Amino acid sequence: MNRIEKKMAELQEAGKKAFITYTTAGLPDLDTTKKIVYAQEKAGIDVIELGIPFSDPVADGPVIQTASYKAIQNGTTLRKVFDTMSEIRETGCEVPIVFMMYYNTVYHYGIEAFVSKCIACGVDGLIIPDLPFEEQKELQTALNAQEHAPILIQLVAPVSKQRIPMILEHARGFVYCVSQMGVTGKGANFHKDLKEYLASVKAVSQIPVMMGFGIRTAADVLPVKDEIDGAIVGSHFLKLLEENNYSTDAVTEYVTTFQKELNA
Amino acid sequence: MDKRYYGEFGGQYVSESLMNTLDVLTEEFEKAIKDPEFIKQYDYYLKEYVGRENPLYFAEKLSAKYGTKIYLKREDLNHTGAHKINNVIGQALLAKRMGKTKLIAETGAGQHGVATATVAALFGMECTVFMGAEDMERQKLNVFRMELLGAKVQSVTSGSATLKDATNEAIRTWAEKAEDTFYIIGSAVGPYPYPKMVKEFQKVISVEARRQILEKEGRLPDAVVACVGGGSNSIGMFAEFIADESVRLVGAEAGGLGVETGKHAAAMALGKTGILHGMKTYLLQDEDGNIELAHSISAGLDYPGVGPEHAYLRDSGRVEYVSVTDKEAMDALVELSRMEGIIPAIESAHAMAQVFKMTKNMSEDQIIVMCLSGRGDKDMMTVQKYFNGEETNK
Repeated sequence: MNRIEKKMAELQEAGKKAFITYTTAGLPDLDTTKKIVYAQEKAGIDVIELGIPFSDPVADGPVIQTASYKAIQNGTTLRKVFDTMSEIRETGCEVPIVFMMYYNTVYHYGIEAFVSKCIACGVDGLIIPDLPFEEQKELQTALNAQEHAPILIQLVAPVSKQRIPMILEHARGFVYCVSQMGVTGKGANFHKDLKEYLASVKAVSQIPVMMGFGIRTAADVLPVKDEIDGAIVGSHFLKLLEENNYSTDAVTEYVTTFQKELNA
Repeated sequence: MDKRYYGEFGGQYVSESLMNTLDVLTEEFEKAIKDPEFIKQYDYYLKEYVGRENPLYFAEKLSAKYGTKIYLKREDLNHTGAHKINNVIGQALLAKRMGKTKLIAETGAGQHGVATATVAALFGMECTVFMGAEDMERQKLNVFRMELLGAKVQSVTSGSATLKDATNEAIRTWAEKAEDTFYIIGSAVGPYPYPKMVKEFQKVISVEARRQILEKEGRLPDAVVACVGGGSNSIGMFAEFIADESVRLVGAEAGGLGVETGKHAAAMALGKTGILHGMKTYLLQDEDGNIELAHSISAGLDYPGVGPEHAYLRDSGRVEYVSVTDKEAMDALVELSRMEGIIPAIESAHAMAQVFKMTKNMSEDQIIVMCLSGRGDKDMMTVQKYFNGEETNK
């Protein structure tokens, strides 16, 4: 069973909400990325998003843009992140891991080869913000053709409205609700109709509903706690890592606190 | 067939937040171009404000020297000095019709930014132009022109701080503010319907040129030539001739220091497909699929991709795409200046250089029509530096 779906089932059973973080791979280097993954697994993180750096991250704000730029300068490539993934799985680490990436990186690698490599390295899911529902056919066909292929996570936005049923029809794992218009890391200035929007997704979704973009602490999502099944933190987590010089203690502290408050 | 695609190229590779915006835009655009009132307005501004129609000029001395009839479509005589304004008038009218009050645009050299700032002033709309910090330094005068026209020029420091990054930033801002903001894309690129809109609002170039050549020569030309960066003047120049099978269509990409040096902007010469700025097309990219920087002495051709319809026209064989180096373009710029008293933009000089090459295999009664997309005033600093042997780009 896919690690994300297994985790979601466990959380549902236990009546708990999911906590998901995002880290740009290769920041400051891939060894540190591994340590951060292990520390989070130990702290009980539910899902980890690993960002594959791309030269033109149009869905991201300044924090992740800078992180991507630095990671590329450091020599981080998709091939190297695949190697790191294999090493992570070889140690017996079973935390669900999702690649957050742009479609050109997949396309350039070769779609079928990419899917096979994801399976071989134990990648559980894909988040591709510049691949909207209408453009997913090519990749989805390749994913459907192989067993144990990663899940293509579906994103919905505050303006998706009548598009939501179509997007969710075959969605698996969880649905990623973007909390505001624009890019990542703009702080908790959520969309004015956030609650209604999340409720409208929750009403039709067969799978857990996660909220992301602009979240810093559990307090940011508590007002909409009943409408979501979990929260995703990206830019803020990257800032925290940098401010604490990538200390695993800071990671443990942050993950533990967020989860406790989210499930309080 | 999926109308969003040109063969395998095009599409809408944008975030979910923009999909509704694109749907509404597609619908409004299709309605507008079928509305006689909209067309009347567009034609009015093209005539009274832009100064169309512009001449199809017979370059007599060049024709005699090169042994082929050379006609120049004088887009350089438009208000603001290039073809860019044709498209901006169209898109800004559409923005007004859709009730948007703010315009945003990206710009490299500043020509599209100036055209957008100009039309924003004309229509009383708020305007922000995104421009790479590097480009702002290189094109100070155009920054000043935009500010004089009342626009805000937003410096972009991310990535390489050039046109592709300015485009990224414009897309990010648009995704956040689409409710009251219209994004005017200047080239034949971006997610559908942008490539189609830009073609629609630039096709006036070939509508006029085709009629003019028939009036002057009583027959169609043997060849039509235009320069290709993102591909707006060329798609406009080719549009009405695509169905004329006897007419050879040639697009000149920027070969920079030579395609073999890696320092060029000839996205189609290498033919590597990828996804950037909302479209699937030919792109300059490295072995990991990161986008590479383009190089050209001409800022307007300095873009790592090309419009999706051009990618399709290349593969279908209807249009030939060739590359012209910095040096060939600069030689042609001097030749046109001295022979005809017309200083072209460096972009257009690429097309001129290609015309000179083609005349070698053509006879005296054959005809080439070239799009002289813009005037050279903006490039005088670059031209001066080039002839002084100084570095002109990066």
